[in-house]
Amino acid sequence: MLRVLPALCALLFAGVVSAQDGPQGITTPVVLPSFDPSAPSCSAPPGLQKILTFAQDNERQFMQGVAKGLAAAAKDRGFQFRVVLANNDPRLMIEQVQAQLADRAGAVVAAPVHPPSLAPLLQQVIWSGAYVGTVVPPPAVTLLNAPQYLTGRVLAEAAAAYIRGRLNGKANVVLLTHDSLQFLSPRFAAMRDVLQDMPGVTIVADISPLTVNKEGGLNMMRTILIAHPDVDVVLGADTVVLGALQALREAKKSRPDQFLGGIDGEPEAVAEIKSGNSPYKASVSLSSPVFGYALGQFAADWMAGKSVPQAMDILPSLLTQANIAQYEADFENPGAVFTDPNRRDAYLKMYGNICFDTRDRYVNFPWSSERK
Amino acid sequence: MPISSRFVVRSTILLLGVGFLTLLGIVATTIWLSERAQYSFSEVVEARETRGASVELRTALQTAESSQRGYLATGNEIYLAPYATAKAQTMRHFSTLKRLLANEASFTVLLDRLEAVIGQKLKEMDDAVAFKSALRERDALAVLQTNRGKALMDEANLFLSGIIRRTDDRLTAAVVEQRANAAWLRWVTVLGGLVIVLVVGGVTILTLQYAREVVQARDEVHALNASLEERVKIRTADLALARDRAEMLVQEVNHRVANSLAMVSSMVQLQARALTDQAAKDVLSETQARIYAIASVHKRLYTSKDVRVVDLDAYLAAVLDQLAVTLKNEGGGASLRYTIEPLKMPTDRSINLGVAITELVTNAFKYAYPDGNGEVRVKLASLKNGSAELIVEDDGIGRNENALAKGTGLGTRIVHAMASNMEAKIEYLERARGTAARIVFPLKEAA
Repeated sequence: MLRVLPALCALLFAGVVSAQDGPQGITTPVVLPSFDPSAPSCSAPPGLQKILTFAQDNERQFMQGVAKGLAAAAKDRGFQFRVVLANNDPRLMIEQVQAQLADRAGAVVAAPVHPPSLAPLLQQVIWSGAYVGTVVPPPAVTLLNAPQYLTGRVLAEAAAAYIRGRLNGKANVVLLTHDSLQFLSPRFAAMRDVLQDMPGVTIVADISPLTVNKEGGLNMMRTILIAHPDVDVVLGADTVVLGALQALREAKKSRPDQFLGGIDGEPEAVAEIKSGNSPYKASVSLSSPVFGYALGQFAADWMAGKSVPQAMDILPSLLTQANIAQYEADFENPGAVFTDPNRRDAYLKMYGNICFDTRDRYVNFPWSSERK
Repeated sequence: MPISSRFVVRSTILLLGVGFLTLLGIVATTIWLSERAQYSFSEVVEARETRGASVELRTALQTAESSQRGYLATGNEIYLAPYATAKAQTMRHFSTLKRLLANEASFTVLLDRLEAVIGQKLKEMDDAVAFKSALRERDALAVLQTNRGKALMDEANLFLSGIIRRTDDRLTAAVVEQRANAAWLRWVTVLGGLVIVLVVGGVTILTLQYAREVVQARDEVHALNASLEERVKIRTADLALARDRAEMLVQEVNHRVANSLAMVSSMVQLQARALTDQAAKDVLSETQARIYAIASVHKRLYTSKDVRVVDLDAYLAAVLDQLAVTLKNEGGGASLRYTIEPLKMPTDRSINLGVAITELVTNAFKYAYPDGNGEVRVKLASLKNGSAELIVEDDGIGRNENALAKGTGLGTRIVHAMASNMEAKIEYLERARGTAARIVFPLKEAA
């Protein structure tokens, strides 16, 4: 990581120079109104290809779901769909997005590896008239975010209910945080807020794995077990919590009455939940195919000159054994969810309006619906 | 049910044994709990030292980090002094912690990891400070932006919180143990005291009950004694009355027998007076004398308080006085003199003695002095062996063993018969003049 920093900084400076060619968008945080689906249409962007490209950071399941939704939407709207995989290489991602810009791709949806270095390039894509959707960081025509505090709160309240109901109100809790993405910090703030009201709960570890994946979770949990051999609850992202589960099993410290819960609805986590006797009890799903499908639809609408949301929340859904079947059905067919307003509103909440003619109002600040 | 003394003794020993064992239990438990309390106290002290070292180490690390950040943010070297001090304290507190946990195998891996983390953290801070000192601001910032420092600090906190938490558990366990010890001591003392109180109460109740029963038994004995004395008194009075009646009856019987014998004697005398034959008159006179001798005994008896024995001096004196009168009236010229020692002898034997004396004296009067003048002497004296001797002697013509009997020989047979009844020996002593008949007889009947 240290080796690529100089190159990233160089790219960042290059981006700043190029950014003078177009508007900076909304850089001061504002509270966006609700999306108006009946807002008037405007011009369609000229000279762009009906190409929908997904700049994917890595192949984690969550991003695979995004790709799945985007692909379905592209197919439904007659777009060519491309996936460019950066494998966590920020430099490669920049090159891949530059290639899309050169190809006059009509829409780019990005999950940035290194948001600061990619941001200037995404601005250029917006200035070109293309649609840009991002998974969380700005800038973007439509910025997808999750209400991080609510997401963390849903998971923490499920854990709290379990602690009260099954663990007699007493538990040693591990929070596996995500220091490399600071905008996810509200998740863990929510978890701390919920758990601090429980006198029998002790947060024995509140720490971020070095890498936010299963291996990172595995290594960190091994370290935690050295200091705190008795753990009752582990909360974090699904991937790291799955790694923590593996560490617990290796150390023979896993028990059926433990509560391991994650965020993202990773398939492996879902499989653990479905097994019935796993310590893994819940996952907060941010149904990536559903919002991926929505972003694909909005990209097509944008190309058609329609008004699209400036920002969108993917709402958290707590997956348990009871509702896992419906979750899997929605995962497989996100188009059906999107076309059913009631089901769509259960997953998605949209804010603001923007179209090709008003693209100078793109979001260029770390938006969150939870910002006060 | 009344309690026996054996039951009281056994129960008291049992209860005292229980009390003693209880006391022994209290003492043993107190010693045991004191040992446990001492161990818990040592645990508390060790845990407290370990916790203190952990907290101090964490504080030193945080002070070092905040001082380093102060220097990085301002470039002011005043922050480097507390930074250096905090680093030194970090190493010193870690050494202390390592020493305190040296014997805890479960902390070995943790301490190794913590040592590595502290080393990396100090190096990370030193690197950033060095860049800053060399005016390489961007390099210093890059070090911070890696978030490596935070990750190391988080990891150090993880380990230190683990030590603190487990130390807190030890502290809590030791305090809980001490509290439990105190509770145990309290309960053992209370229960032991209760048992001892029960034992003392039991012994007291047992003793009181036993004492009450003893008093009750004594009162009952007293009551029975009083009743018995009353009954004995009544019975004694009844017996005295019966005795008096019996004595009265015996006296009456003796009186009547004496009167009847006196009447028979008078009738014999009247009969003798009516006869003209001197021999017949003599026979009847002798018979009268014999009857009188027997009657005299009964006369003595009904005037005596004790009918079982007869006072020989009074009885024999009366018999001899009457016999002397009778023999004088019949023409006898001899005189009678007697010496009777005051002795007592059973009634039946006294009758035999009286009849025997009458026969011997009559014989002496009749045959010792043919001319009619002389003295007949009777002497009764006690011997040393519980016997007595009767001697009837005269100074007359003496007794010829080979000569024919002068009378019928009845008197001699009577004397021998009486002597035989009295288990006596009769012998006739040789004298220069006269005759001496000696009868030695026991004063009491053979057992």
